[in-house]
Amino acid sequence: MTDWKALAAARCPDVPPDAVACLVPALEALETSFRPLAEQLTSDDESAVVFSDVFGANVSGRAE
Amino acid sequence: MTIEEAARRLRTREVSAVELALESLRMIREQQPRLNAFITITEEVALEQARRADDDFARGSDRGPLQGVPYALKDLFDTSGIRTTGGTKIFADRVPDRDCAVYERLQAAGAVLMGKTGMHELAYGITSNNPHFGAVRNPRDPARIPGGSSGGSGAAVAAGIVCFAMGSDTGGSIRIPAAYCGCVGLKPTFGRVSRFGTLPLGGSLDHMGPMTQTARDGALVMEAIAGYDPRDDSSSHRPVDGFVKSGFSMTGLRIGVPENFYNERIAPEVAAAFADALRRAESAGARLIPVPVPDPAALNVAGRVILLAEVSALMAPYAGRRGDFGADVLALLDQGRLLAATDYINAQRFRRRAQRQWADMWQSVDVIFTPTAPILAPLIGRSDVEWGGEGGIVEAEDVRLATTRLVRAINVLGIPAVSIPLHCNQLPAGLQIIGRPFDDGLVLAVGESMA
Repeated sequence: MTDWKALAAARCPDVPPDAVACLVPALEALETSFRPLAEQLTSDDESAVVFSDVFGANVSGRAE
Repeated sequence: MTIEEAARRLRTREVSAVELALESLRMIREQQPRLNAFITITEEVALEQARRADDDFARGSDRGPLQGVPYALKDLFDTSGIRTTGGTKIFADRVPDRDCAVYERLQAAGAVLMGKTGMHELAYGITSNNPHFGAVRNPRDPARIPGGSSGGSGAAVAAGIVCFAMGSDTGGSIRIPAAYCGCVGLKPTFGRVSRFGTLPLGGSLDHMGPMTQTARDGALVMEAIAGYDPRDDSSSHRPVDGFVKSGFSMTGLRIGVPENFYNERIAPEVAAAFADALRRAESAGARLIPVPVPDPAALNVAGRVILLAEVSALMAPYAGRRGDFGADVLALLDQGRLLAATDYINAQRFRRRAQRQWADMWQSVDVIFTPTAPILAPLIGRSDVEWGGEGGIVEAEDVRLATTRLVRAINVLGIPAVSIPLHCNQLPAGLQIIGRPFDDGLVLAVGESMA
Protein backbone atom coordinates (compact mmCIF):
# COMPACT_ATOMS: atom_id res chain seq x y z
CA MET A 1 0.00 0.00 0.00
CA THR A 2 1.06 3.55 -0.63
CA ASP A 3 2.49 5.49 2.31
CA TRP A 4 0.15 8.44 1.80
CA LYS A 5 1.57 10.44 4.68
CA ALA A 6 5.09 10.26 3.28
CA LEU A 7 3.82 10.98 -0.21
CA ALA A 8 1.89 14.03 0.97
CA ALA A 9 4.87 15.32 2.92
CA ALA A 10 7.00 15.10 -0.22
CA ARG A 11 4.53 16.23 -2.88
CA CYS A 12 2.08 18.51 -1.03
CA PRO A 13 3.88 19.94 1.99
CA ASP A 14 1.21 22.62 2.28
CA VAL A 15 -1.36 19.99 3.30
CA PRO A 16 -1.26 19.77 7.11
CA PRO A 17 -0.49 16.30 8.54
CA ASP A 18 -3.85 16.12 10.34
CA ALA A 19 -5.62 16.81 7.04
CA VAL A 20 -3.61 14.05 5.38
CA ALA A 21 -4.55 11.65 8.17
CA CYS A 22 -8.21 12.34 7.42
CA LEU A 23 -7.67 11.58 3.72
CA VAL A 24 -5.88 8.27 4.18
CA PRO A 25 -8.95 6.03 4.64
CA ALA A 26 -10.55 7.37 1.44
CA LEU A 27 -7.31 7.07 -0.53
CA GLU A 28 -6.68 3.54 0.72
CA ALA A 29 -10.23 2.49 -0.17
CA LEU A 30 -9.87 3.95 -3.65
CA GLU A 31 -6.50 2.29 -4.14
CA THR A 32 -7.89 -1.05 -2.99
CA SER A 33 -10.73 -0.78 -5.50
CA PHE A 34 -8.67 0.55 -8.37
CA ARG A 35 -5.56 -1.65 -8.32
CA PRO A 36 -7.37 -4.82 -9.49
CA LEU A 37 -8.86 -2.88 -12.41
CA ALA A 38 -5.50 -1.55 -13.51
CA GLU A 39 -4.07 -5.05 -13.33
CA GLN A 40 -6.65 -6.26 -15.87
CA LEU A 41 -5.37 -3.89 -18.53
CA THR A 42 -3.30 -5.16 -21.41
CA SER A 43 -1.17 -3.41 -23.98
CA ASP A 44 -4.20 -3.39 -26.30
CA ASP A 45 -6.10 -1.09 -23.95
CA GLU A 46 -5.62 2.45 -25.19
CA SER A 47 -6.57 5.51 -23.18
CA ALA A 48 -9.98 7.04 -23.70
CA VAL A 49 -8.06 10.29 -23.99
CA VAL A 50 -6.45 10.45 -27.41
CA PHE A 51 -5.21 13.57 -29.05
CA SER A 52 -6.30 13.24 -32.63
CA ASP A 53 -8.91 15.97 -32.98
CA VAL A 54 -6.39 18.44 -34.35
CA PHE A 55 -5.89 15.99 -37.22
CA GLY A 56 -9.64 15.86 -37.92
CA ALA A 57 -10.22 12.41 -36.48
CA ASN A 58 -12.35 11.29 -33.56
CA VAL A 59 -11.71 12.75 -30.15
CA SER A 60 -11.32 11.42 -26.65
CA GLY A 61 -14.20 10.45 -24.44
CA ARG A 62 -16.64 11.21 -27.20
CA ALA A 63 -19.16 8.44 -27.51
CA GLU A 64 -19.30 8.41 -31.31
CA MET B 1 -45.99 25.96 -15.67
CA THR B 2 -44.40 23.88 -18.40
CA ILE B 3 -42.63 25.42 -21.38
CA GLU B 4 -45.36 24.11 -23.65
CA GLU B 5 -48.08 25.73 -21.57
CA ALA B 6 -46.20 29.04 -21.32
CA ALA B 7 -45.60 29.01 -25.08
CA ARG B 8 -49.27 28.41 -25.75
CA ARG B 9 -50.44 31.14 -23.38
CA LEU B 10 -47.95 33.62 -24.81
CA ARG B 11 -49.19 32.97 -28.34
CA THR B 12 -52.86 33.26 -27.45
CA ARG B 13 -52.02 36.54 -25.64
CA GLU B 14 -53.42 35.17 -22.37
CA VAL B 15 -50.24 36.41 -20.81
CA SER B 16 -47.26 38.52 -21.85
CA ALA B 17 -43.59 37.68 -21.39
CA VAL B 18 -43.28 40.60 -18.97
CA GLU B 19 -46.17 39.25 -16.90
CA LEU B 20 -44.55 35.80 -16.81
CA ALA B 21 -41.25 37.35 -15.74
CA LEU B 22 -42.92 39.41 -13.01
CA GLU B 23 -44.70 36.33 -11.69
CA SER B 24 -41.43 34.40 -11.70
CA LEU B 25 -39.70 37.25 -9.84
CA ARG B 26 -42.50 37.29 -7.27
CA MET B 27 -42.06 33.56 -6.70
CA ILE B 28 -38.28 33.87 -6.46
CA ARG B 29 -38.63 36.51 -3.72
CA GLU B 30 -41.31 34.50 -1.94
CA GLN B 31 -39.37 31.20 -2.06
CA GLN B 32 -35.81 32.49 -1.63
CA PRO B 33 -35.91 32.54 2.20
CA ARG B 34 -37.27 28.98 2.18
CA LEU B 35 -35.22 27.38 -0.61
CA ASN B 36 -32.19 29.63 -1.26
CA ALA B 37 -32.34 28.41 -4.86
CA PHE B 38 -30.63 31.50 -6.33
CA ILE B 39 -27.23 33.10 -5.89
CA THR B 40 -28.03 36.04 -8.16
CA ILE B 41 -31.43 37.34 -9.31
CA THR B 42 -31.22 39.08 -12.69
CA GLU B 43 -34.34 41.25 -12.47
CA GLU B 44 -33.24 43.98 -14.87
CA VAL B 45 -31.98 41.52 -17.46
CA ALA B 46 -35.16 39.48 -17.14
CA LEU B 47 -37.48 42.42 -17.69
CA GLU B 48 -35.41 43.69 -20.62
CA GLN B 49 -35.39 40.26 -22.27
CA ALA B 50 -39.12 39.85 -21.58
CA ARG B 51 -39.91 43.23 -23.15
CA ARG B 52 -37.88 42.22 -26.20
CA ALA B 53 -39.82 38.94 -26.44
CA ASP B 54 -43.12 40.82 -26.24
CA ASP B 55 -41.95 43.27 -28.90
CA ASP B 56 -41.06 40.35 -31.14
CA PHE B 57 -44.48 38.76 -30.62
CA ALA B 58 -46.10 42.10 -31.42
CA ARG B 59 -44.11 42.33 -34.67
CA GLY B 60 -45.05 38.76 -35.59
CA SER B 61 -41.50 37.53 -35.03
CA ASP B 62 -41.53 34.09 -33.39
CA ARG B 63 -38.20 32.49 -32.47
CA GLY B 64 -39.73 29.26 -31.22
CA PRO B 65 -41.21 27.77 -28.07
CA LEU B 66 -38.72 29.31 -25.65
CA GLN B 67 -39.51 32.91 -26.63
CA GLY B 68 -40.66 34.78 -23.53
CA VAL B 69 -40.24 31.74 -21.25
CA PRO B 70 -38.59 32.31 -17.82
CA TYR B 71 -35.57 30.17 -17.00
CA ALA B 72 -32.46 30.05 -14.82
CA LEU B 73 -28.81 29.11 -15.29
CA LYS B 74 -26.70 27.25 -12.77
CA ASP B 75 -24.11 29.71 -11.53
CA LEU B 76 -21.30 28.22 -13.59
CA PHE B 77 -22.62 29.34 -16.98
CA ASP B 78 -20.80 32.55 -17.89
CA THR B 79 -23.05 35.54 -18.44
CA SER B 80 -21.47 38.77 -19.64
CA GLY B 81 -21.74 41.49 -17.01
CA ILE B 82 -23.49 39.19 -14.54
CA ARG B 83 -21.57 37.66 -11.64
CA THR B 84 -20.79 33.97 -12.15
CA THR B 85 -19.39 32.39 -9.02
CA GLY B 86 -19.22 28.65 -9.52
CA GLY B 87 -20.59 28.54 -6.00
CA THR B 88 -17.14 29.23 -4.59
CA LYS B 89 -15.54 32.02 -2.61
CA ILE B 90 -12.62 31.84 -5.05
CA PHE B 91 -14.85 33.32 -7.81
CA ALA B 92 -17.35 35.14 -5.59
CA ASP B 93 -16.81 38.48 -7.33
CA ARG B 94 -16.08 37.18 -10.81
CA VAL B 95 -17.99 39.01 -13.56
CA PRO B 96 -17.32 37.45 -16.98
CA ASP B 97 -16.96 39.59 -20.09
CA ARG B 98 -18.38 36.91 -22.36
CA ASP B 99 -21.47 34.75 -22.61
CA CYS B 100 -21.25 30.98 -22.60
CA ALA B 101 -22.54 29.19 -25.70
CA VAL B 102 -25.69 27.96 -23.98
CA TYR B 103 -26.66 31.49 -22.90
CA GLU B 104 -25.98 32.77 -26.42
CA ARG B 105 -28.31 30.16 -27.86
CA LEU B 106 -31.01 30.72 -25.25
CA GLN B 107 -30.89 34.47 -25.93
CA ALA B 108 -31.23 33.75 -29.63
CA ALA B 109 -34.27 31.58 -28.81
CA GLY B 110 -35.83 34.48 -26.87
CA ALA B 111 -35.84 32.86 -23.43
CA VAL B 112 -35.87 35.13 -20.36
CA LEU B 113 -33.09 34.75 -17.77
CA MET B 114 -34.40 35.14 -14.21
CA GLY B 115 -31.20 34.39 -12.34
CA LYS B 116 -28.22 32.22 -11.52
CA THR B 117 -28.95 29.25 -9.32
CA GLY B 118 -27.24 27.91 -6.22
CA MET B 119 -25.06 24.86 -6.42
CA HIS B 120 -22.55 22.72 -4.60
CA GLU B 121 -19.22 24.54 -4.44
CA LEU B 122 -17.44 24.17 -7.80
CA ALA B 123 -20.12 21.57 -8.72
CA TYR B 124 -17.95 19.19 -6.70
CA GLY B 125 -20.52 17.42 -4.52
CA ILE B 126 -24.09 16.29 -4.34
CA THR B 127 -25.67 18.15 -1.40
CA SER B 128 -25.69 21.80 -2.59
CA ASN B 129 -24.98 22.55 1.06
CA ASN B 130 -22.80 25.50 0.16
CA PRO B 131 -20.57 27.03 2.87
CA HIS B 132 -20.27 30.37 1.03
CA PHE B 133 -23.79 30.98 -0.27
CA GLY B 134 -25.83 28.86 2.12
CA ALA B 135 -27.59 25.53 1.78
CA VAL B 136 -30.05 25.11 -1.06
CA ARG B 137 -33.16 23.34 0.20
CA ASN B 138 -35.50 20.78 -1.30
CA PRO B 139 -38.91 22.26 -2.23
CA ARG B 140 -40.62 18.96 -1.31
CA ASP B 141 -39.18 19.15 2.21
CA PRO B 142 -36.85 22.03 3.11
CA ALA B 143 -35.18 19.93 5.81
CA ARG B 144 -33.71 17.79 3.04
CA ILE B 145 -31.04 18.36 0.44
CA PRO B 146 -32.18 19.07 -3.13
CA GLY B 147 -29.30 16.96 -4.39
CA GLY B 148 -26.51 18.42 -6.41
CA SER B 149 -24.53 19.80 -7.67
CA SER B 150 -27.29 21.54 -9.68
CA GLY B 151 -29.46 21.81 -6.56
CA GLY B 152 -30.70 25.35 -7.14
CA SER B 153 -31.76 24.54 -10.70
CA GLY B 154 -33.63 21.43 -9.55
CA ALA B 155 -35.30 23.31 -6.70
CA ALA B 156 -36.31 26.27 -8.90
CA VAL B 157 -37.88 24.02 -11.54
CA ALA B 158 -39.60 21.66 -9.10
CA ALA B 159 -41.02 24.63 -7.17
CA GLY B 160 -42.41 26.08 -10.40
CA ILE B 161 -40.38 29.28 -10.07
CA VAL B 162 -39.05 28.97 -13.62
CA CYS B 163 -40.17 26.82 -16.54
CA PHE B 164 -36.72 25.35 -16.99
CA ALA B 165 -33.15 25.65 -15.77
CA MET B 166 -29.75 24.59 -17.00
CA GLY B 167 -27.51 22.33 -14.98
CA SER B 168 -24.20 20.57 -15.37
CA ASP B 169 -23.55 16.88 -14.77
CA THR B 170 -20.09 15.46 -14.08
CA GLY B 171 -21.08 12.51 -11.90
CA GLY B 172 -24.86 12.80 -11.75
CA SER B 173 -25.28 16.49 -10.95
CA ILE B 174 -28.33 17.01 -13.16
CA ARG B 175 -30.03 13.65 -12.63
CA ILE B 176 -29.60 13.55 -8.84
CA PRO B 177 -31.37 16.86 -8.09
CA ALA B 178 -33.99 15.96 -10.68
CA ALA B 179 -34.68 12.76 -8.75
CA TYR B 180 -34.57 14.33 -5.29
CA CYS B 181 -36.67 17.38 -6.19
CA GLY B 182 -39.08 15.71 -8.59
CA CYS B 183 -38.37 17.13 -12.04
CA VAL B 184 -36.86 15.93 -15.30
CA GLY B 185 -33.11 16.20 -15.85
CA LEU B 186 -31.21 15.24 -18.98
CA LYS B 187 -27.50 14.54 -19.16
CA PRO B 188 -27.00 14.68 -22.92
CA THR B 189 -24.46 12.72 -24.93
CA PHE B 190 -20.91 14.03 -24.45
CA GLY B 191 -20.23 16.63 -27.12
CA ARG B 192 -23.90 17.34 -27.88
CA VAL B 193 -24.20 20.62 -25.94
CA SER B 194 -21.36 23.12 -26.02
CA ARG B 195 -19.43 23.68 -22.81
CA PHE B 196 -17.81 26.86 -24.06
CA GLY B 197 -17.91 29.49 -21.34
CA THR B 198 -18.83 27.19 -18.49
CA LEU B 199 -16.71 26.60 -15.42
CA PRO B 200 -15.15 23.17 -15.95
CA LEU B 201 -14.90 20.56 -13.23
CA GLY B 202 -13.77 17.29 -14.79
CA GLY B 203 -13.04 18.12 -18.41
CA SER B 204 -13.64 14.64 -19.81
CA LEU B 205 -16.76 14.08 -17.70
CA ASP B 206 -18.65 17.42 -17.79
CA HIS B 207 -22.00 17.64 -19.59
CA MET B 208 -24.45 20.57 -19.77
CA GLY B 209 -28.16 19.79 -19.88
CA PRO B 210 -31.70 20.98 -19.19
CA MET B 211 -33.87 20.50 -16.10
CA THR B 212 -37.56 20.74 -16.85
CA GLN B 213 -40.98 19.75 -15.62
CA THR B 214 -41.61 17.35 -18.48
CA ALA B 215 -39.41 15.29 -20.78
CA ARG B 216 -41.02 16.98 -23.78
CA ASP B 217 -39.91 20.34 -22.38
CA GLY B 218 -36.40 18.90 -22.14
CA ALA B 219 -36.58 18.13 -25.84
CA LEU B 220 -37.69 21.69 -26.59
CA VAL B 221 -34.68 23.10 -24.72
CA MET B 222 -32.35 20.67 -26.47
CA GLU B 223 -33.67 21.86 -29.84
CA ALA B 224 -32.40 25.31 -28.90
CA ILE B 225 -29.05 24.52 -27.27
CA ALA B 226 -27.64 21.42 -29.01
CA GLY B 227 -25.20 21.43 -31.87
CA TYR B 228 -21.59 21.85 -32.89
CA ASP B 229 -19.55 24.69 -31.45
CA PRO B 230 -15.98 25.15 -32.73
CA ARG B 231 -15.02 26.88 -29.47
CA ASP B 232 -15.53 23.64 -27.51
CA ASP B 233 -12.92 21.04 -28.43
CA SER B 234 -15.19 18.23 -27.25
CA SER B 235 -18.15 19.42 -29.35
CA SER B 236 -19.47 16.84 -31.79
CA HIS B 237 -19.70 17.52 -35.53
CA ARG B 238 -22.55 15.03 -35.77
CA PRO B 239 -25.70 16.68 -37.17
CA VAL B 240 -28.48 17.35 -34.68
CA ASP B 241 -31.61 15.25 -35.17
CA GLY B 242 -34.95 16.44 -33.90
CA PHE B 243 -35.29 15.95 -30.16
CA VAL B 244 -39.08 16.21 -30.17
CA LYS B 245 -40.47 12.84 -31.24
CA SER B 246 -44.13 13.30 -32.12
CA GLY B 247 -46.20 10.11 -32.24
CA PHE B 248 -43.62 8.04 -30.36
CA SER B 249 -44.86 4.64 -29.22
CA MET B 250 -43.41 2.30 -26.60
CA THR B 251 -44.65 -0.71 -28.57
CA GLY B 252 -41.76 -3.05 -29.25
CA LEU B 253 -39.22 -0.89 -27.43
CA ARG B 254 -36.52 -3.13 -25.93
CA ILE B 255 -35.91 -2.02 -22.37
CA GLY B 256 -32.84 -3.47 -20.70
CA VAL B 257 -33.44 -4.24 -17.03
CA PRO B 258 -30.12 -4.78 -15.25
CA GLU B 259 -29.68 -8.14 -13.55
CA ASN B 260 -26.80 -6.86 -11.49
CA PHE B 261 -25.58 -3.82 -9.53
CA TYR B 262 -28.54 -1.50 -10.20
CA ASN B 263 -30.83 -3.70 -8.08
CA GLU B 264 -28.53 -3.88 -5.06
CA ARG B 265 -28.88 -1.74 -1.94
CA ILE B 266 -32.02 0.10 -3.11
CA ALA B 267 -34.38 1.64 -0.54
CA PRO B 268 -37.72 -0.20 -0.46
CA GLU B 269 -39.74 2.86 -1.55
CA VAL B 270 -37.44 3.37 -4.55
CA ALA B 271 -37.49 -0.32 -5.46
CA ALA B 272 -41.30 -0.38 -5.35
CA ALA B 273 -41.63 2.74 -7.51
CA PHE B 274 -39.11 1.33 -9.98
CA ALA B 275 -40.98 -2.00 -10.19
CA ASP B 276 -44.18 -0.08 -10.87
CA ALA B 277 -42.45 1.82 -13.69
CA LEU B 278 -41.39 -1.45 -15.28
CA ARG B 279 -44.96 -2.74 -15.10
CA ARG B 280 -46.25 0.44 -16.73
CA ALA B 281 -43.67 0.22 -19.51
CA GLU B 282 -44.64 -3.37 -20.21
CA SER B 283 -48.32 -2.46 -20.23
CA ALA B 284 -47.52 0.22 -22.80
CA GLY B 285 -46.12 -2.43 -25.13
CA ALA B 286 -42.40 -2.38 -24.32
CA ARG B 287 -40.37 -5.58 -23.95
CA LEU B 288 -38.44 -5.98 -20.72
CA ILE B 289 -35.13 -7.72 -21.36
CA PRO B 290 -32.94 -8.73 -18.41
CA VAL B 291 -29.34 -7.73 -19.13
CA PRO B 292 -26.06 -8.21 -17.31
CA VAL B 293 -24.48 -4.76 -17.24
CA PRO B 294 -20.68 -4.67 -17.66
CA ASP B 295 -19.29 -3.82 -14.23
CA PRO B 296 -20.68 -0.38 -13.33
CA ALA B 297 -18.92 -0.56 -9.95
CA ALA B 298 -15.55 -0.66 -11.71
CA LEU B 299 -16.59 2.22 -13.94
CA ASN B 300 -17.53 4.22 -10.85
CA VAL B 301 -14.06 3.65 -9.40
CA ALA B 302 -12.36 4.62 -12.65
CA GLY B 303 -14.63 7.67 -12.86
CA ARG B 304 -13.66 8.80 -9.38
CA VAL B 305 -9.94 8.49 -10.18
CA ILE B 306 -10.43 10.51 -13.38
CA LEU B 307 -12.49 13.16 -11.64
CA LEU B 308 -10.18 13.57 -8.65
CA ALA B 309 -7.18 14.06 -10.93
CA GLU B 310 -8.89 16.36 -13.44
CA VAL B 311 -10.35 18.71 -10.83
CA SER B 312 -7.13 18.97 -8.84
CA ALA B 313 -5.17 19.72 -12.00
CA LEU B 314 -7.68 22.41 -12.95
CA MET B 315 -7.73 24.01 -9.51
CA ALA B 316 -3.95 23.81 -8.98
CA PRO B 317 -3.55 27.61 -9.39
CA TYR B 318 -5.76 28.07 -6.31
CA ALA B 319 -4.13 25.42 -4.14
CA GLY B 320 -2.60 28.14 -1.97
CA ARG B 321 -6.03 29.45 -0.95
CA ARG B 322 -6.88 26.53 1.29
CA GLY B 323 -8.96 28.62 3.65
CA ASP B 324 -11.26 29.74 0.85
CA PHE B 325 -12.59 26.26 0.05
CA GLY B 326 -15.27 24.39 1.93
CA ALA B 327 -13.97 21.45 3.94
CA ASP B 328 -15.50 18.74 1.73
CA VAL B 329 -14.20 20.26 -1.49
CA LEU B 330 -10.75 20.87 -0.02
CA ALA B 331 -10.50 17.22 1.04
CA LEU B 332 -11.31 16.08 -2.50
CA LEU B 333 -8.82 18.54 -4.00
CA ASP B 334 -6.13 17.21 -1.68
CA GLN B 335 -6.95 13.61 -2.60
CA GLY B 336 -6.61 14.43 -6.28
CA ARG B 337 -3.19 15.97 -5.76
CA LEU B 338 -1.93 12.73 -4.26
CA LEU B 339 -2.97 10.43 -7.09
CA ALA B 340 -0.31 9.12 -9.45
CA ALA B 341 -0.33 10.08 -13.13
CA THR B 342 -0.26 6.37 -13.94
CA ASP B 343 -3.55 5.92 -12.08
CA TYR B 344 -5.19 8.62 -14.16
CA ILE B 345 -3.96 7.12 -17.42
CA ASN B 346 -4.98 3.62 -16.38
CA ALA B 347 -8.43 4.87 -15.42
CA GLN B 348 -8.76 6.36 -18.91
CA ARG B 349 -7.60 3.07 -20.42
CA PHE B 350 -10.17 1.18 -18.38
CA ARG B 351 -12.77 3.68 -19.56
CA ARG B 352 -12.10 2.87 -23.22
CA ARG B 353 -12.39 -0.84 -22.50
CA ALA B 354 -15.75 -0.31 -20.74
CA GLN B 355 -17.06 1.82 -23.60
CA ARG B 356 -16.48 -1.12 -25.95
CA GLN B 357 -18.19 -3.55 -23.58
CA TRP B 358 -21.26 -1.32 -23.27
CA ALA B 359 -21.36 -0.85 -27.05
CA ASP B 360 -21.83 -4.61 -27.40
CA MET B 361 -24.73 -4.53 -24.97
CA TRP B 362 -26.65 -2.00 -27.11
CA GLN B 363 -27.15 -4.64 -29.78
CA SER B 364 -29.82 -6.32 -27.64
CA VAL B 365 -31.61 -3.34 -26.05
CA ASP B 366 -32.71 0.18 -27.04
CA VAL B 367 -32.65 1.78 -23.59
CA ILE B 368 -31.83 0.70 -20.05
CA PHE B 369 -33.99 1.49 -17.03
CA THR B 370 -32.50 1.93 -13.56
CA PRO B 371 -33.40 3.94 -10.49
CA THR B 372 -31.57 7.30 -10.55
CA ALA B 373 -30.60 7.20 -6.89
CA PRO B 374 -30.97 4.30 -4.49
CA ILE B 375 -32.42 6.49 -1.75
CA LEU B 376 -34.84 9.39 -1.31
CA ALA B 377 -33.49 12.87 -0.57
CA PRO B 378 -31.49 12.72 2.67
CA LEU B 379 -31.88 15.21 5.49
CA ILE B 380 -29.43 18.11 5.35
CA GLY B 381 -26.30 17.20 7.31
CA ARG B 382 -26.74 13.44 7.07
CA SER B 383 -23.44 11.80 6.12
CA ASP B 384 -24.24 8.08 5.94
CA VAL B 385 -26.94 5.74 4.71
CA GLU B 386 -27.44 2.47 6.56
CA TRP B 387 -28.21 -0.77 4.76
CA GLY B 388 -29.28 -3.98 6.40
CA GLY B 389 -26.84 -6.73 5.44
CA GLU B 390 -26.80 -10.47 5.89
CA GLY B 391 -27.25 -11.68 9.45
CA GLY B 392 -28.63 -8.35 10.56
CA ILE B 393 -25.32 -6.58 10.11
CA VAL B 394 -25.80 -2.91 9.30
CA GLU B 395 -23.55 -1.46 6.62
CA ALA B 396 -22.97 2.29 6.41
CA GLU B 397 -22.48 3.94 3.03
CA ASP B 398 -21.31 7.51 2.56
CA VAL B 399 -24.24 9.63 1.29
CA ARG B 400 -22.15 11.02 -1.58
CA LEU B 401 -21.14 7.58 -2.77
CA ALA B 402 -24.67 6.19 -2.36
CA THR B 403 -26.22 9.11 -4.21
CA THR B 404 -23.83 8.85 -7.17
CA ARG B 405 -23.68 5.04 -7.25
CA LEU B 406 -26.20 4.55 -10.07
CA VAL B 407 -25.34 7.60 -12.19
CA ARG B 408 -21.57 8.18 -12.23
CA ALA B 409 -20.72 5.41 -14.70
CA ILE B 410 -22.90 7.07 -17.33
CA ASN B 411 -20.65 10.15 -17.30
CA VAL B 412 -17.62 7.94 -17.79
CA LEU B 413 -19.31 6.41 -20.85
CA GLY B 414 -20.54 9.76 -22.20
CA ILE B 415 -23.94 8.34 -23.17
CA PRO B 416 -27.29 10.13 -22.66
CA ALA B 417 -29.49 9.54 -19.63
CA VAL B 418 -32.58 11.28 -18.36
CA SER B 419 -34.12 11.14 -14.89
CA ILE B 420 -37.88 11.43 -14.69
CA PRO B 421 -39.90 11.59 -11.47
CA LEU B 422 -41.31 8.52 -9.80
CA HIS B 423 -43.69 9.31 -7.00
CA CYS B 424 -43.47 7.37 -3.78
CA ASN B 425 -45.41 8.75 -0.81
CA GLN B 426 -44.20 12.20 0.20
CA LEU B 427 -40.91 12.40 -1.66
CA PRO B 428 -40.06 11.76 -5.30
CA ALA B 429 -37.60 9.22 -6.62
CA GLY B 430 -36.12 9.09 -10.10
CA LEU B 431 -36.27 6.70 -13.04
CA GLN B 432 -33.03 6.82 -15.03
CA ILE B 433 -33.44 6.04 -18.74
CA ILE B 434 -30.08 5.42 -20.39
CA GLY B 435 -29.59 5.40 -24.15
CA ARG B 436 -27.08 4.80 -26.89
CA PRO B 437 -24.73 7.61 -27.89
CA PHE B 438 -26.73 10.43 -29.50
CA ASP B 439 -30.09 8.82 -28.69
CA ASP B 440 -30.93 11.85 -26.55
CA GLY B 441 -34.24 12.27 -28.37
CA LEU B 442 -35.19 8.65 -27.73
CA VAL B 443 -34.53 8.74 -23.99
CA LEU B 444 -36.60 11.92 -23.75
CA ALA B 445 -39.43 10.37 -25.77
CA VAL B 446 -39.41 7.28 -23.55
CA GLY B 447 -39.37 9.58 -20.54
CA GLU B 448 -42.39 11.45 -21.84
CA SER B 449 -44.24 8.17 -22.39
CA MET B 450 -43.45 7.09 -18.82
CA ALA B 451 -44.72 10.32 -17.21
